[in-house]
Amino acid sequence: MENLPAQVADRLQALSFADRAVAWLYVDDALALIAAGGCLEAYGLGALSLGAPAVEQAAFLEGLLPLVETPWLFPSIELAVGHEKGRVADLHFWRDEGGAGDGTWVLLLEVTSERDATRRLQQKAYDMTLLQEREAALNRRLEAAQAELRAQSAELARWNKTLEERVAAQVGELGRMSRLKRFLAPALAELIVSSGDESILESHRRDIAALFCDLRGFTAFAERAEPEEVLELLRDYHATLVPLVQSFEGTLDRFAGDGLMVFFNDPLPCPNPAERAVRLAVAMREAVMVLAAGWRRRGHQIGFGVGIAQGFATLGQIGFEGRFDYSAIGTVVNTASRLSDAAADGQILVTSRVAGAVGDFAELGDIAPLAIKGLSRSLAVSNVVALKSGQHQQPI
Amino acid sequence: MTVAVQKKICMLGGFSVGKTSLVKRYVASIFSESYLTTVGVKIDKKTVTLGDRVVHLILWDLAGEDDMSSLRMSYLRGSAGYVLVADGTRPATLETALSLRRRVEADYGPLPFALLLNKNDLREQWAIPDGELEELRRSGCWVRSSSARTGEGVEDAFTDLAVRVAP
Repeated sequence: MENLPAQVADRLQALSFADRAVAWLYVDDALALIAAGGCLEAYGLGALSLGAPAVEQAAFLEGLLPLVETPWLFPSIELAVGHEKGRVADLHFWRDEGGAGDGTWVLLLEVTSERDATRRLQQKAYDMTLLQEREAALNRRLEAAQAELRAQSAELARWNKTLEERVAAQVGELGRMSRLKRFLAPALAELIVSSGDESILESHRRDIAALFCDLRGFTAFAERAEPEEVLELLRDYHATLVPLVQSFEGTLDRFAGDGLMVFFNDPLPCPNPAERAVRLAVAMREAVMVLAAGWRRRGHQIGFGVGIAQGFATLGQIGFEGRFDYSAIGTVVNTASRLSDAAADGQILVTSRVAGAVGDFAELGDIAPLAIKGLSRSLAVSNVVALKSGQHQQPI
Repeated sequence: MTVAVQKKICMLGGFSVGKTSLVKRYVASIFSESYLTTVGVKIDKKTVTLGDRVVHLILWDLAGEDDMSSLRMSYLRGSAGYVLVADGTRPATLETALSLRRRVEADYGPLPFALLLNKNDLREQWAIPDGELEELRRSGCWVRSSSARTGEGVEDAFTDLAVRVAP
């Protein structure tokens, strides 16, 4: 600005720099500090040595000299003084050739208040941006948590479905088990259910040993006695015989009052059905003899007879949904039933085939051939008197 | 005889990644929870002794900007190396740091640098997978996690860089 009166120029300078620290350095091309002035202490430059290397004394010059372009500005540089906040200055660089000598002028023009004003604005903008970033990050985490929750819910639904299916399967299994236990020893029922193969319960033919037993004199007793007494006697009778049937692994076909039918070799096969049937019959007879002694003491003359036959029968489930029984049909069943009818108290009548199978361990007594209803000719029959010595009545 | 050298190191990275806090931790061993944005540059000095050598590190803490203008790039003039800083809880700041590195290399060539993933004290908010760090290491980056709050990794990073810029 030309032609300013000296007073105006001085005033202008005072106004411009009243609140600003201004300092300057002059560095020659050998990077020695040639001159310095202004508010050097404001920038931590109070102890400069002229003639000494400039960069060692004014560290901010490191790497900047010699100047590549002129003039050059580094705006808004804060120079720390020790560990304290320093003043902020724009650093102006320019070459001066032919003036004080070939070198570079460095002017430090304080801009602390401008920097602070800019920082206030920038701070607000950055704070807002950071808030938005955090909100976005929070939303992403929330969405991820929701997705995980949805996945877990779906997984839980799958587990529930699986659980329901397993419960249904187990309920079905329990139902089947309950049905099977009605005519099979519990261990055999569990074996069939756990194997999952119930095809053996379908209709088929097999060689079985059938055992029928009932009480002698029961009908007359039932006519005389009170119903409660009859039922009590039957309870004792069944409670005694059924565990024996199960322990010998017989298949319990049916109860009919005092009558009981058991068969062997089906639905699970066994190698010696006749032998098992006879051993069971002997055990039954021994057990009922004990019961009968008590009945006699109460004035009831009740005996026990058994019939056993072996042969092919048709077996399978008979009945309808909710009321199935597993049963055997055939001549062998009828024959065992007739033998049971014909047996006197204490007798175990067996067909000749059964007798042949058990002759090694049972004492047999021959009796006269029996005419069996439904058979064209008389049947050779033996009575199992006892097991031979050394033979136990225990299950095989 | 002790040899003294002086080296200019620039701190680069996006805003609010902790550049100023790292310098404060390194130079003055202090940490402030409050965030005060940097405008322009703040220059500090730290002296490191490496055997029989004394290295004066002149630390130029540059304002964090996602995209450095050519004017800001001039601050790196004469720099012997630089520290790239990213915030481990903000993955985008790593992208910014890597972008700045490409920009510096385009203008000044392959200067020694250290990449710090800062704020590793905020582990529950950490968002940069370890695999990414491994990949950066395999690509030749000197990269570490750090915390200006606890001081973890800070001294090591500057010392390592001092060794590389003043061999």
